[in-house]
Amino acid sequence: MKMIYCDSAATTPLNKDVIDEMTKVSSSVFGNPSSIHKFGQESRAIIERARLSMANLLGCDLSEIIFTGCGSESNNIALLGLLKRGDHFITTSYEHPAVLKTANELEQNGIDVTYIKPNSSGLIELEDIENSINTKTKLVSVMYVNNELGTENPINQISELTKKYGILFHTDAVQIIGKKEIALKDTSIDLLSLSAHKFYGPKGVGALYIKNGVNLIPTYFGGGQEKDLRPGTENIVYIHGMAIALQKSIQGIDRWNKRVTEYETSFFKKMEKMKINYTLNGDNRTPGILNITFHDILSQDLVIALDMSGYAISGGSACSSGSVNASATLREINMDNESASRTVRISFGKNLTKQNIVGLSDCISEIINRQYHKRVANAK
Amino acid sequence: MLNKNRVLVAMSGGVDSSVAITKLNEMGYETIGITFKLWETIDPETKMKKNSHCNSTEAINGAKMICDRLGVHHYTINEMDSFKKYVVDDFTNEYLKGRTPNPCVKCNSYVKWGNLIEQANKFDAYYVATGHYARIEKSNSKSMIKKGADKLKDQSYMLWHINRDLIDRTLLPIGDLEKEEVRNYAKKKNLETSSIPDSQDLCFVMDGDYRNFLNRFMPEKMERIKGGDIQNEDGSVIGTHSGFTNYTIGQRRGLGLSNPEPRYVKKINPISNTITVGKKESMFSSVCMTKHINWLVDTPEFPLKALTQIRYNSLGSTALIEKINESYLVTFEEPQLAITPGQSIVFYSEETLLGGGIIEESNE
Repeated sequence: MKMIYCDSAATTPLNKDVIDEMTKVSSSVFGNPSSIHKFGQESRAIIERARLSMANLLGCDLSEIIFTGCGSESNNIALLGLLKRGDHFITTSYEHPAVLKTANELEQNGIDVTYIKPNSSGLIELEDIENSINTKTKLVSVMYVNNELGTENPINQISELTKKYGILFHTDAVQIIGKKEIALKDTSIDLLSLSAHKFYGPKGVGALYIKNGVNLIPTYFGGGQEKDLRPGTENIVYIHGMAIALQKSIQGIDRWNKRVTEYETSFFKKMEKMKINYTLNGDNRTPGILNITFHDILSQDLVIALDMSGYAISGGSACSSGSVNASATLREINMDNESASRTVRISFGKNLTKQNIVGLSDCISEIINRQYHKRVANAK
Repeated sequence: MLNKNRVLVAMSGGVDSSVAITKLNEMGYETIGITFKLWETIDPETKMKKNSHCNSTEAINGAKMICDRLGVHHYTINEMDSFKKYVVDDFTNEYLKGRTPNPCVKCNSYVKWGNLIEQANKFDAYYVATGHYARIEKSNSKSMIKKGADKLKDQSYMLWHINRDLIDRTLLPIGDLEKEEVRNYAKKKNLETSSIPDSQDLCFVMDGDYRNFLNRFMPEKMERIKGGDIQNEDGSVIGTHSGFTNYTIGQRRGLGLSNPEPRYVKKINPISNTITVGKKESMFSSVCMTKHINWLVDTPEFPLKALTQIRYNSLGSTALIEKINESYLVTFEEPQLAITPGQSIVFYSEETLLGGGIIEESNE
């Protein structure tokens, strides 16, 4: 059975050009970028071209990009490198664990942390941040797009606010990069984390934007690579792949947005037509990430039944053991347990065709109606 | 109408369940692997979450590798609430009553079979399967459970509490094999899990010491359990104990007594907070009372003569079972050593598992 992948917020398949480019580099270049000989020079050139390309695409200076192992690592390097005992740190209560658990760790080390709750539409409110600022506040970190809800926070306004107070601003932008054009030099964002595998690049590589003038203290130690912040021999192939993937994604933004909007319209039309009892959660959504409560079926049952029928979606956000646990994010937007246990995340990616969306919506309708009829039969 | 060719296979990620699903696949069944997430603890020092042995990350990933090689689906299903309620709470409550429980028995009936069947219904699967060393004899009337072919590994003792109606829907594909054969089969097939060590009985007691578990799981309750007297059967005090939950019936070591002749724990009395010890010969008894009986065959006529096992991995001996109101009196032909309240008592007719119950305090 051919499986149809509808979970691109979890990760995306590699873009074909990225595969070709990575294959080319991995079969021809291997030198240590720090070596002085020709082999090293070749590798160095690939990394620095990638940095230049990404800086251009993100609207920043090439000196402002460091390469990391993943989005989580970027978040850790930023937060741990900035905050010291006695500082006050403001973040949100529905961040990805890469920020949330780092914040918990910082608390253990004498940093005062305020966790702002999102509103019931899944968005962070500006005034909640403003009200939490005190004289010790050093950093605010708010995720650009929530990974479970797909809701996009007012990042530009938040970063303007923090600038006004002379506070640094970091954003975990893993879910937005490649989906929206961002010119960093025109924003007041000081630090931004991204990850290649969310935009059709390889897993195991990410980047951190650090605005010139912002100083981080190293949290890893080694041979001095990436301005001492992420020492270790660079992964030439993945860094090259990430830069190509970002270029392809940004070039295709308009086309993709048009396509994904059509997909969403077609999907919801079908839900209405089949009289499916559902709620689409969250406001100001990034197109393509759908957090939906299907009131007539448990998320675990729906995810499994769809998987058995050839469609991959996610129940809550993926966790490492692969079992479905109640989502903390849904609790934070004050969703009741009953609804939370019936909520799934469907995310559309570039691998999908219009036909796939029809197939998926047919399949969901059929599973829900079948289960509904079973329940009615059992009740009798 | 459930699909009789479809089997939901409970996978602990060990070699037994890996071989079970592989065999079923070979037999032409459409298989689906399920791993139940049952328990996790947080290491007090590192604060890292650790799953119990049965569903460690390695176990879940082992099951995933096996299902992947077979090209079948695998799912991890969270049953932590039901495991706590039916297994762990029962386990701790029994110790607080001075009894020695068999948590695997409760886990099999309530958590494994109960939830497997519930999931199987959702998957339209008629059958469920596990890697237990026991056999199912299918017949035109009702199916029966028999001892596994490997007499040393036989796990039928742990299955007496499952719902009889579910036996017909159960497949035990490795029951005909000896452990050695299972390992060899896994090696021959190059199964990724072929050299994983056998799982331990108390999967949720991470360090194997149930006392540490009780202390961590319910510190307030355990704090109230103080030391008390160790006494002879005549009531004379001959020593002190460190808290009755630290002892099990038949225990000889660690009593701190200086008798020339060894003494064994004979009775644990939580109400008077005393431990009664006796000489070896007084540890034998021919009778015990039993409750909570579950029959896996048509309810027999009493008195019933059956091969009776009072602990896992014992040979069993012949006993006569009589029904007295809601309880059963079991009288053994040969006196039995250290009959332990809380343990399962399981009845067989030759190889066939007739049923079982829980040993109660006997008032001789």
